[in-house]
Amino acid sequence: MPRILPDVLRNVFRKPATVKYPYERIEPPGGLRGRPVVEKEKCISCGLCVKVCPNQAIKLIEETKKPRISLSRCIFCGECADACPVKAITMTKEYELAVYDKAQAISE
Amino acid sequence: MTFVVPVGPQHPALLEPEHFRFEVRGEEIIDVKIRLGYMHRGIERGLMDRTYHQGLYLAERICGICSHAHNLCFSQTVERLAGVEIPDRARYIRTIVAELERIHSHLLWAGVAAHEIGFITLFMLFWRDREHVQDLLEMISGNRCYYSMCAIGGTRRDMRPEHLPKIDRGLKVLEKATKHYVDVATSDRTILARCENIGVLTKQDARNFCAVGPHARASGVDVDMRRDDPYAAYAEIPFGVVTQSEGDVFARVVVRLREVLEAIGIIRHALDKMPTGPIRTRVRAKIPPNEATSRVEAPRGELLHFGISNGTEKPERWRVRPPTYANIPSLVPMFVGGTIAEIPIVLASIDPCMCCTDRVTIVDVTTGKSKILTMEELRRMAR
Amino acid sequence: MTEALSFLLAYLIFPGLLFTGAVSLLFVGIDRKIAAHMQNRIGPPIWQEFFDVGKLLGKEDITPTSAQSTVFTLAPLLAFGAIVAVMLLLPVNSAQPALVLVADLIVIIYLLNIPAICVMLGGYSSACPFGASGASRYVVQLFGYELAFIIAALAVAVKVDSLSLSDFVSYQAQNGWLALDWRLLPALIASLIAIQGKLLRVPFDIPEAEVEIVHGPLTEYSGPKLALMRIAYDIEILAVAGFITALFLGGPTPFNIGGVQIPGVVSFLIKCLAIVLFTTTLRCIAARLRIDQAVRFFWTFAVILAVMSLLLVI
Repeated sequence: MPRILPDVLRNVFRKPATVKYPYERIEPPGGLRGRPVVEKEKCISCGLCVKVCPNQAIKLIEETKKPRISLSRCIFCGECADACPVKAITMTKEYELAVYDKAQAISE
Repeated sequence: MTFVVPVGPQHPALLEPEHFRFEVRGEEIIDVKIRLGYMHRGIERGLMDRTYHQGLYLAERICGICSHAHNLCFSQTVERLAGVEIPDRARYIRTIVAELERIHSHLLWAGVAAHEIGFITLFMLFWRDREHVQDLLEMISGNRCYYSMCAIGGTRRDMRPEHLPKIDRGLKVLEKATKHYVDVATSDRTILARCENIGVLTKQDARNFCAVGPHARASGVDVDMRRDDPYAAYAEIPFGVVTQSEGDVFARVVVRLREVLEAIGIIRHALDKMPTGPIRTRVRAKIPPNEATSRVEAPRGELLHFGISNGTEKPERWRVRPPTYANIPSLVPMFVGGTIAEIPIVLASIDPCMCCTDRVTIVDVTTGKSKILTMEELRRMAR
Repeated sequence: MTEALSFLLAYLIFPGLLFTGAVSLLFVGIDRKIAAHMQNRIGPPIWQEFFDVGKLLGKEDITPTSAQSTVFTLAPLLAFGAIVAVMLLLPVNSAQPALVLVADLIVIIYLLNIPAICVMLGGYSSACPFGASGASRYVVQLFGYELAFIIAALAVAVKVDSLSLSDFVSYQAQNGWLALDWRLLPALIASLIAIQGKLLRVPFDIPEAEVEIVHGPLTEYSGPKLALMRIAYDIEILAVAGFITALFLGGPTPFNIGGVQIPGVVSFLIKCLAIVLFTTTLRCIAARLRIDQAVRFFWTFAVILAVMSLLLVI
């Protein structure tokens, strides 16, 4: 008598374990390393985030000297958020970041 | 009259591309030739161009499933190069994440092995229960894979008190599910028919071909880096090393499922005895010239990183010896004498992680000399 | 003239092409959905098989240059034609099938083998190592299940003392289902195991093992030819289930609920669905066996049960 048979028969009457994404979503836990967001007012243009990024995804904009993060190069490690002395960069919980146009994949 | 059956680089049995040429007579395998190198990405060269703090993230991405093992081994090597001791709490946190990753890797492997023998139900059920581990890791580290928990000098994040009840609940569910699966796997007649006495690797062969990890432990070779060369907090936590003596596919299944239960015990012990204190010490960016090695028990076996520093903030040279690279030569005695029907399950039973494996050296067969090709030359030849 | 017309109608509409095609694709969709729920997931909608076959009919048809193209092209057509012919010989609506022949039990058993032979021919003619490997495995497996299948059918024929399916149905209408007769119970079990091998379902889907030999004999097929092969597989499920229904479960029996007369085809379909769901459960609780283990299992377990039944009814 296979031991898996009671499981299999019981599963027919249970609710499936599938989450019907995108009609239902699971709330991600706090601390998820999603999209990094820059608060421009706090930024002091020290350039530490540019130096520390492992993938050179951050550049300072020419006119304002504030960081612009390229989301197609970003690996969402959070080093920029850790290195910033005034905590101007935070990692939010946003993870649905697909875009049709590569020029839109930036966060500034 | 032998017939050649090519498996790979594209084949439903392989998750990652490698090439195996089987010579068969009827259904029996006479010989196998293995060609690796399809997943080469030039990571060791990439590590030479990045500082230690940046290279940590590249080293982590050598593999998706054993990412924390690479992260840990890299940080430990750099800490040995710099001669730095890390705080106790950081060592315990590293141990907990390493064991959670081991549970995740073994459950993933169990699902893949079930798929290879055609038991789709077990595949789905294993991966459903793997979601519990993924949720715990996401809660602790912020990501479902590529956890980036280690920093050079300690860990990047701390474990908060509100995580502890959730980890407890998750571990209880996993323990009950894994015990049930051990029961199912050891008693189901079709699984036993497909896995017993298949792909046998004797203890002598395992020693000769230098097999590592659960693959060697299933053949009776008692080797485990956590006990033989303790790192992180393993010297202070008692745990058992699981071995079996038959050396067939079934023994490897049993070894890995029992290691999941051992890992749950280690995590509980570590959470109990976790010391308080800081989680990170500062390590200077420039590291004086030195050479260091570090070994870690990744889910697939012994992982080794060897680094040479030269006084600047970038390493001089880095060498990675992943466990699958050591396990691949032992495939030959396992395949020869078997049948075609066993190819997928025997291949899956060493838990191959091809992305860790590949390093490319070009050998000229007429003269026997080897040389290294630059990217420009490779691009020109691929056109 | 009317005979030819009624034959054409029977072949094309009921119980031929249209009816069988629609019902069998629906049954396979239900089978996939129930299997998904057994694995604790949602699975495709029950119309999925219609979409899959429709998509395949619109794809490009490629024949490999080194394949034997006549055999390669004819194999799906022959398989499809033969399996639809089986449906004409089964009693679907009443004890009388659409086409009446003498000794139609033997004809049905032979016709049910034609799809298997066509798949083998297709595999051998496709000049591909996976195709040849799959076809050779199919030959070996055929030797396994066919004996158990034939002996089980023979046991029923001896019991009813006839070789015509309409006699089986009328006998069961008077004496109750043959499945409830303890002497024929081993034959029922043997035939259920044999059809698991005939329909290429786990634990016996060895000729088509995806992880080992890509798609077995059907590896090189694409487009409309693959669609025809797939429809032939799906209709085979209904045909074999219908055959077992006629042998053991009483075939189509009209009954009435509260004064409304329900035609026999409804009870026929319900019984076939029960058999299909039984094979679904079997395929969710086992791993795939190796070819030598499968043949050994058929020859020791299934054949012995069938022979036991035969000896008990002689």
